Amino acid sequence: MSLEAAQQRLADLLARAALGDRKAFAEVYDATKSKLFAVSLRIVRERHIAEEVLQDSFVNIWNHAADYAQAKSAPTTWMAAIVRNRSLDIVRRTREEPDVDDALAARMVDETAAPPREMQDRAEAHSLKQCLAELEAEQRQSIALAFFHGLSHSELADHMRRPLGTVKTHIRRGLLKLRDCLARTGTVERG
Amino acid sequence: MHKLSPALAHALAAEYVVGTLRGRARRRFEAIARADTQVAAVLAEWERGLTPMAEDVPAVEPPARVWDAIEARVAPRGADKGAKALGFWRSFGLLAGGVASVLLAAFLYLSTGPRGEPVFVAVLAQPSEPSPRMVVSMHMPNLLRVRVVKPWNMSPQQSLELWVVPTEGAPRSLGLVANSLGDTMIQIDPNDPRVQGAQLLAVTMEQAGGSPTRQPTSKPVCTGMIAPVRKI
Repeated sequence: MSLEAAQQRLADLLARAALGDRKAFAEVYDATKSKLFAVSLRIVRERHIAEEVLQDSFVNIWNHAADYAQAKSAPTTWMAAIVRNRSLDIVRRTREEPDVDDALAARMVDETAAPPREMQDRAEAHSLKQCLAELEAEQRQSIALAFFHGLSHSELADHMRRPLGTVKTHIRRGLLKLRDCLARTGTVERG
Repeated sequence: MHKLSPALAHALAAEYVVGTLRGRARRRFEAIARADTQVAAVLAEWERGLTPMAEDVPAVEPPARVWDAIEARVAPRGADKGAKALGFWRSFGLLAGGVASVLLAAFLYLSTGPRGEPVFVAVLAQPSEPSPRMVVSMHMPNLLRVRVVKPWNMSPQQSLELWVVPTEGAPRSLGLVANSLGDTMIQIDPNDPRVQGAQLLAVTMEQAGGSPTRQPTSKPVCTGMIAPVRKI
């Protein structure tokens, strides 16, 4: 089955699961469990916690299968986002106190009204790797460690032996550059 | 609610998807994205852009018990009244395994939790009903608060009995709960062996005064997983 056909198949199965088809749901699980388990395991690191994440995520997927119809991403992306969010919730709960980029958080509260702007759906995931390659090594490393392994800013700082502020800057600048690059290649709209 | 500028929406969405936006800021951003379609669109862009990269990892097979637990937790959307009372209880053996130690940690946390705050909560509902029937919370140092949100129609010859379902072994009774709107307080020591390894609470309708066999004699009228609470 081609990648596209496999995704279409998953989308169909999710639609059936939304109507209560448990067999379709079981098929979704079988098709995605080992990738999604690996995704969570990278972040939470302990098998028994990753098992809990996978369990919670699929209960969530079952309960919200109907929402997939409105999602504009591939089924595997939609599910991976659910698993990643659950994993990040759990590491936050078990690993350490939350650490927040205060400046960013403060701006989220302070921002004033901005003119609306149209977003376009022009996803080209393959260009992401090229864009990551364009980043400075430390920026790339910070983003990858956070993304794949669920490291927080302060864990990154420990790991990379850099001051917390430096790490936050690496991530923020790295993501900004990533966005410029993705905008250039058409994956995200320039804004 | 304030509107986010596109630049900030992108910065936050990117850190949200990468995972470095944590704690309260993460919750707040989720709330904004739910309320603001522009922000939701930006978040979706970053998810489409970055999340597929996450699948670029070697697959790892999860154990079969994960599916067993999922199956036990997803309520049938249609009618599925076939489950026998004892079969229901037996199936919790399958729920055990991996999640146990995390939930055990909820109980261990009792010994360190701040006074007054709930250290865990469980929202109990009927499998066929989305709305909760009962909310159970554990408070320091040794008080279990059982709040009935929606009482049952039952005869005075019956009592509601609260059970803790451990990782392994038979359900253990925590006592009787009044079938009326409001709270029943149960004193329980966090070191009580009955709560060790607990992961799920269940309520059954028993004869007045509780089950004579000290084991549930019927299918639960409501159940709920125990969730540890930590201050964010």
